[in-house]
Amino acid sequence: MTSAIETASTLDQATLDALRESVASVLSEQCGSTALHAFIDGKNTLDKTIWGQAGQLGWLGFGIPEQFGGLGMGAQGLAILHGELGRRAAPGPYIATLSAAQAIVETGGDAICQRWLPRLAAGEINGAVPATLDMHSLTRSSAGVSGTLRCLGAADAAFLLAPAADDWMIVDLAGAEVTVAPMWDRTRDVIDVRLKDAMPAGILPDAAATRAALTRAMALAVAADSAGGARSVTELTIAYMKTREQFGQPIAGFQALKHRAADLATKQAVADEMVRHAVQRTVADEPDADIWASLAKSEVTDACVFITTDCVQLHGGVGFTWDFDPHVFLKRARLNEVLIMANTALRDQAAAALATITMSGRSALELEL
Amino acid sequence: MNILEAQHDLSAFRQAIRDWLAKVVPPDWKARMARASNEEYIAFQRWWMAERSKVGLAIPHWPKEYGGGGLSQRHLIAIADEMARADAPQNRMFTISLIHMPGTLLPHGTEAQKRRYLAGVANGEVWCQGFSEPNSGSDLASLRTRAVRDGDHYVINGQKIWSSNSMYADHCLLLTRTDPNAQKHRGITYFIMDMRSSGVEVRPIRQANGRAEFGELFLTNVRIPAENMIGAENNGWRVAQATLASERGVISFEGGERQRYEIEAFYRKSLQAGADWLRDVQLHREFVSFLAEMQAARRLLRRVLEESETPQASASVLPSIVKLSSTVLRQRICSFMVRIAGVDGQAFALLAEEPFGSPMFDFLSAFSGTIAGGTNEIQRNIVAERGLGMPRV
Repeated sequence: MTSAIETASTLDQATLDALRESVASVLSEQCGSTALHAFIDGKNTLDKTIWGQAGQLGWLGFGIPEQFGGLGMGAQGLAILHGELGRRAAPGPYIATLSAAQAIVETGGDAICQRWLPRLAAGEINGAVPATLDMHSLTRSSAGVSGTLRCLGAADAAFLLAPAADDWMIVDLAGAEVTVAPMWDRTRDVIDVRLKDAMPAGILPDAAATRAALTRAMALAVAADSAGGARSVTELTIAYMKTREQFGQPIAGFQALKHRAADLATKQAVADEMVRHAVQRTVADEPDADIWASLAKSEVTDACVFITTDCVQLHGGVGFTWDFDPHVFLKRARLNEVLIMANTALRDQAAAALATITMSGRSALELEL
Repeated sequence: MNILEAQHDLSAFRQAIRDWLAKVVPPDWKARMARASNEEYIAFQRWWMAERSKVGLAIPHWPKEYGGGGLSQRHLIAIADEMARADAPQNRMFTISLIHMPGTLLPHGTEAQKRRYLAGVANGEVWCQGFSEPNSGSDLASLRTRAVRDGDHYVINGQKIWSSNSMYADHCLLLTRTDPNAQKHRGITYFIMDMRSSGVEVRPIRQANGRAEFGELFLTNVRIPAENMIGAENNGWRVAQATLASERGVISFEGGERQRYEIEAFYRKSLQAGADWLRDVQLHREFVSFLAEMQAARRLLRRVLEESETPQASASVLPSIVKLSSTVLRQRICSFMVRIAGVDGQAFALLAEEPFGSPMFDFLSAFSGTIAGGTNEIQRNIVAERGLGMPRV
């Protein structure tokens, strides 16, 4: 892994806690349930409001080195941000933009970094990436890049980071045909980008490295987002169970339901550690970092689908209504589940890499004591 | 040689343990134990305790004033890690002696009790636990073994069960009912019982995995001196919490580390041999998911250790969450091993030389994790009620 952020050192727990607290307090004020439901129903522009705040508060530069206008907090800072955005199911193109930025940071080279990162750090532009990285629908000729690609990103995305033929490139989307593809998850946008002889705004020097960096960044982002969403839907479900009475008592007193809740809390604890493990391996620049990022995405999104599904069920009738929150998190979880590539495919990739490391006599299972 | 002399430099300390283990652990110990009689098992356990004692590693975690090494948690973690890495024997017969007894006596014992009993362990005294009864399992506080005061003694009548290694034990941590009229948690008294007292009968219980590690205790007019009471009369429930809490910690951590080395050795061997199961992509996927869960479980075990040295530890439900996740994962991994081993995996064998070499034995043994030390159902109650604030009804 060649990295322009070799300086991103490990942040201490107090710094991380303070960071989480500051992001959480802004989002709890801006992105409560009422505002979120109004956004889902097209009655406000919460995504723009939060994006504006995020730019002002420096959130969008968490993963960008200081020399390019960011805060240089690396994967730890990003995991906190995505975790808190997931907790609130906050709308906006964060996974796409911040993951594209990470891939540029790590593999863009100086000229591309100089051109794109300062504007990304300031929140002046947002970006799009392929929704799944195993699609190769763009073609390239001397006239430019053509084809249609389903992407994660907002309708006003300024650029696309994607593969065409053997290269990964940045394509300026000014003038491109971008159509929003409505999703069940209304908290993120998926767009269809149609290119006709678009000239690349930049070609990344090492396609394989860019693909790996983007995969890892998206995997960490999606895993953190999912873990955050699972935590908040579990909390609100348990709170609901304490107030909802049937048979003359709060349903939270029924042992069958308590045991379900305990299992959700246990799954959550495991999911949180998977995210932390993957982040820690990335920060330490370990050769197994990509493996653990891929597995964090596959395992945590599976867990999050399980948890959000059970939380809809535990709400009973109101869980099936549009006005309550659980379905918002369930839909976000289901989109997260299929991003990057199928979880089975991510496990296959991880298995191949784990087998190679294990066969060579090295270990991918080291942990600090 | 005393390995504790190297304690001021953690890496030298580790190296000293590593060198000692390389010399002392017999390479064929697993094969020998797989075929061992009870007598051979006991002799081996005593031999291993004596070897540890020679280098200062018998009771390194106890305070110095009671003959221990007074080591920090960092050192205990290093010892556990090196033992796991070397696949060294575990002193299972001494688990209660090394963990539960000091965990109880250090906070609640009298000075005389501490001096007498802590020192005994280094000389090979074996302890067992007399907590559960046939009708008091998950509802431990309903226990009915009676203790009635008679002069300067108490007279005990009743029955205890699931008492590991009680067949070989010198002493027992015993919970009794002294006030049958009080609310059930308030009438319990805690004693040290000499297992050689008249009226103590132990019958081994054969388990589903073929072994007999548990005993059942039949107590008939057993006389215990009043000075053997731990804590005050009718305050035994509170003392028992210290015993139960002592199970959390380094011992579980070591289990997690051992599993890591086992599973890695199994994977490496499968890859080198081109094992059939690797050709089934779905099985390989399942296996890498286990690895991800195992790393998470190992991290959680580390967090329990960190937390155990903080004031919040006693109220935390993290140990219950960790027990739920680790024991169920262990069961699923063992179940996977049974599935991939086919009919060969059903071949009768107790313990094996190789990791997961006797899949049905491992699978059946995994129930000791999900049932012992408070069933996983009780752990779920604890997580829900104490952790999530769901009401007790």
